[in-house]
Amino acid sequence: MLKTRDLLIEIGTEELPPKSLKSLATAFSEQMCLALNEVELGFNDINWYATPRRLSLLITDLDITQKDKEHQRRGPSLSVAFDNNENPTQATVGFAKSCGVEVKELEKLESGKGAWLVFNTILKGKKTNEIIPGLVEKSLKRLPIAKRMRWGNYNIEFVRPIKWMLILFGNKALNCEILGIKSVATSFGHRYHHPDALEIKSPSEYSNILRKEGHVIVDYNERLSLIQSQIFSVAKNNKGNAIIDPGLLDEVASLVEWPISFIGNFDPEFLKLPKEVLIATMQDNQKYFPVINDKKELMPLFICVSNIESNNLELIKKGNERVIHPRLSDAVFFWEWDLKYGLKSHRQSLKEVVYQKDLGTLYDKSERLVKTLSLIGEKMNLDIDSAKTAAALCLCDLLTKMVSEFPKLQGTMGRYYAKAEGENNDIAIALEELYQPRFAGDKLPKTLSGQCLAISEKIDSLIGIFSIGKAPTGDKDPFALRRSAIGLLRIIIECEIDIDLKDLLSTAASSFSNKSQSLNCINDVYAFLMERLRNYYRDEGFSADVFESVFAINISRPLDFHHRLVAVAEFRKLSEAKSLAAANKRISNLLKKSEEINSIKIKDDLLVEKSEIKLARKLENYKKIIAPMIDNHNYKSALTELSGLKKVIDNFFDNVMVMCDEPDLKKNRLALLSNLNSLFLETADISKLQD
Amino acid sequence: MTQKKKQNPTKNSGLSFQELIFELQKYWSTQECIIVQPYDMEMGAGTFHPATFLRSIGPEPWRTAYTQASRRPTDGRFGENPNRLQHYYQFQVVLKPSPDNIQELYLASLAAIGIDTKKHDIRFVEDNWESPTLGAWGLGWEVWLDGMEISQFTYFQQVGGLDCRPVTGEITYGLERIAMCIQDCDDLFELAWSRTKENNVTYGDIYHQNEVEMSRYNFDLANTDVLFNWFDACEKESQKLIEEGLSIPAYEMTMKASHSFNLLDARGAISVTERQRYILRIRSLSREVAQSYFESREKLGFPLVKN
Repeated sequence: MLKTRDLLIEIGTEELPPKSLKSLATAFSEQMCLALNEVELGFNDINWYATPRRLSLLITDLDITQKDKEHQRRGPSLSVAFDNNENPTQATVGFAKSCGVEVKELEKLESGKGAWLVFNTILKGKKTNEIIPGLVEKSLKRLPIAKRMRWGNYNIEFVRPIKWMLILFGNKALNCEILGIKSVATSFGHRYHHPDALEIKSPSEYSNILRKEGHVIVDYNERLSLIQSQIFSVAKNNKGNAIIDPGLLDEVASLVEWPISFIGNFDPEFLKLPKEVLIATMQDNQKYFPVINDKKELMPLFICVSNIESNNLELIKKGNERVIHPRLSDAVFFWEWDLKYGLKSHRQSLKEVVYQKDLGTLYDKSERLVKTLSLIGEKMNLDIDSAKTAAALCLCDLLTKMVSEFPKLQGTMGRYYAKAEGENNDIAIALEELYQPRFAGDKLPKTLSGQCLAISEKIDSLIGIFSIGKAPTGDKDPFALRRSAIGLLRIIIECEIDIDLKDLLSTAASSFSNKSQSLNCINDVYAFLMERLRNYYRDEGFSADVFESVFAINISRPLDFHHRLVAVAEFRKLSEAKSLAAANKRISNLLKKSEEINSIKIKDDLLVEKSEIKLARKLENYKKIIAPMIDNHNYKSALTELSGLKKVIDNFFDNVMVMCDEPDLKKNRLALLSNLNSLFLETADISKLQD
Repeated sequence: MTQKKKQNPTKNSGLSFQELIFELQKYWSTQECIIVQPYDMEMGAGTFHPATFLRSIGPEPWRTAYTQASRRPTDGRFGENPNRLQHYYQFQVVLKPSPDNIQELYLASLAAIGIDTKKHDIRFVEDNWESPTLGAWGLGWEVWLDGMEISQFTYFQQVGGLDCRPVTGEITYGLERIAMCIQDCDDLFELAWSRTKENNVTYGDIYHQNEVEMSRYNFDLANTDVLFNWFDACEKESQKLIEEGLSIPAYEMTMKASHSFNLLDARGAISVTERQRYILRIRSLSREVAQSYFESREKLGFPLVKN
């Protein structure tokens, strides 16, 4: 049995980018795992650690050598290996020489395909400590680093300058060079608490020694949950609850090696600012966690996670309070400035801001939105006048000082400023809802104006960008059109807005000044939306064939599409579904083969067989039953009803020869099937259903 | 304007503003930096000083430190905001090639000005720097002292569109903010600039009127027609000088054009689309200057390169 040892790899660096720390560490682990597999070194487990100043891996029970391997090298074919006198030919001598052996040490290999001289040997496995440096280097080079940097006079590139490398195999630190950097025999502790070397006796002690002596919690997840519980108790001690944004928590955990959380105060006077502004200032600018009371109102408090156990925490607290004060003062300055200038006053300035070079200014866009919205609104119970006001105002907040400071507050600030300007609630809310859903799974607009405005904006972006030839390709989607498309579809379906996509597209396209290009791209946008719809339903857990069955009958009203899709999914569960799907497949194949069914009129006098008479009669009945169901979009009942046809259809196929020699009978039977087929197609093409 | 409450000037302790500059100069001169003097032109940041921008081009080693007045017209607050100025000071350190212990050198400089790194929360927070007008970018951090950004720390990767080989390490101290921390003072106009036996001369004594008047000029009175003309004239002049192979005066004209642009920006005279175009015009000057400077140093045989 092979011997094993634990391996510790620690790459010490200058402070790493917090937003990619975790992905760097996990990628390092994956790459190392791959590299070890490639060289066939076995190990038990691989753990990753990450702090702002180190990426580390602990690999347990790693083989200390590669296994020996049998190796066979094939030489010349036997037919040319020896001459007539049984003496080795030139080829054979050369081969033996290249293997470093005498000819007599070569062996023969015979198989069905031929016979050759071969050289069998055993390759000694290499020692692990000799190959580790190469594997580490390879893994580091493969890390997903957005921007690599150089430093000093070196030719090395990495995410940040590398300070030290410790490769500890068993209890021995390897002496090697990786990426041109010489390894060292120790680790180093916290930048301020323990800047000196720290001896690690064995890999398994790594995280304990770093914690106990180095003031570093190397385990990312341990640090993360420690911070979480610190924040929780700090908030609780102050009779509040912390708002913990998961992204921020990750970022903060990536900024500290030794987290110490504390609470700070800000002037309650600032609570007059919109809460979104306070939260953005705390989270985005200062990486603080905001605190709310039982009524979910913000408290004039923030929680900061520092990276040091100071004997003067008060000093750090005071310093942080000194920073948030001017930031919030600035926010007040923006808020008051914007209130003074108002939202409407920015409308004319939108003329100066280019939306897209070939699509005019933001003003042009807002004009298009007014137009599109009015056209959509006509078909709905929408208060057109206030919706139009909302459309005219909706881009104005992009020019406010607050939004230029906090771009993510677009829409939200529009709501506040519109309200302050005396616009009605509906308009104000629509300005914010325009941007919903902002991300996958985000909430949807609640008001009808908001829904219509969001639809108009999204369809305008889609047509506009497609019309100038910048449709998304591959993984490139600079205008986030996939998000717009899925948002548009979600609003239509989940808010139950019965609107026809094709109508919507031509309505919106007619608002563009480059009318011919925008009308031309309608089909492409439609196809793009249907692709997104396919993805949407896949994510919602509908199987692909259910989608195909509705997609096949070209339904351009997404809400209608949805009702049909749900009905088919239900139908699919019925015991009759399988054979009906098969029957429909058979029917559509038959119909495809025969070109001559130009008439679908069934002639009663040509119905001869008992089963076909019965089917024809049933068909007439069902047509009458189904029609009102389809009219009421009650597709589920329609399909359930149609499943009652299973027996008659089965009987028909068992007893009637459709493609018979009598041309008239054949035509009539095809007409009968065509009628049957149409009846199903009223809901969906269930022939697309797979077993 | 609201009446500011006066702090007791004798109360604030720590280095005075001028002592802060002295200490940083002293510290960095012991680190073999040449202490050069502020440039006598308006600029948006210490990076524009030729001792940074031009010296970071090409293979010649270079270590320098200096104070530089920086002007950001849009940051003016008429002297009413205790944290914002349109004219302020940066202390700039340039180390080329960047030494391995550059972070430790920086932290030691903080100790030299009285900041105890074991008591305060000092962190290097990712902040990648890009100057569109200088055609320059680098990776690095902003340095936080108890949540306050007190320095920028950058490894230059490209300057004037040219790859930096070797890499220059740039450290920029925000002097007013650091002074506020070490003097424990919440209003920069109350900072002690210098201390005599009788009283303190405050930052406000020296610069408050300047902020009030310059904000008026920057936001309300600067003649935009004249500024547009200046911009055009400086651009032409710079291009002519580049053709003559005179990179240094060509660079001065670029800086003048850049400042005219900043003023126009503060006056709100440039629309968002136009803005991008102006930035590109300055950038193309910077690139040509950089190329021209590189060639002129090459002709001289890169005299600062030691074998």
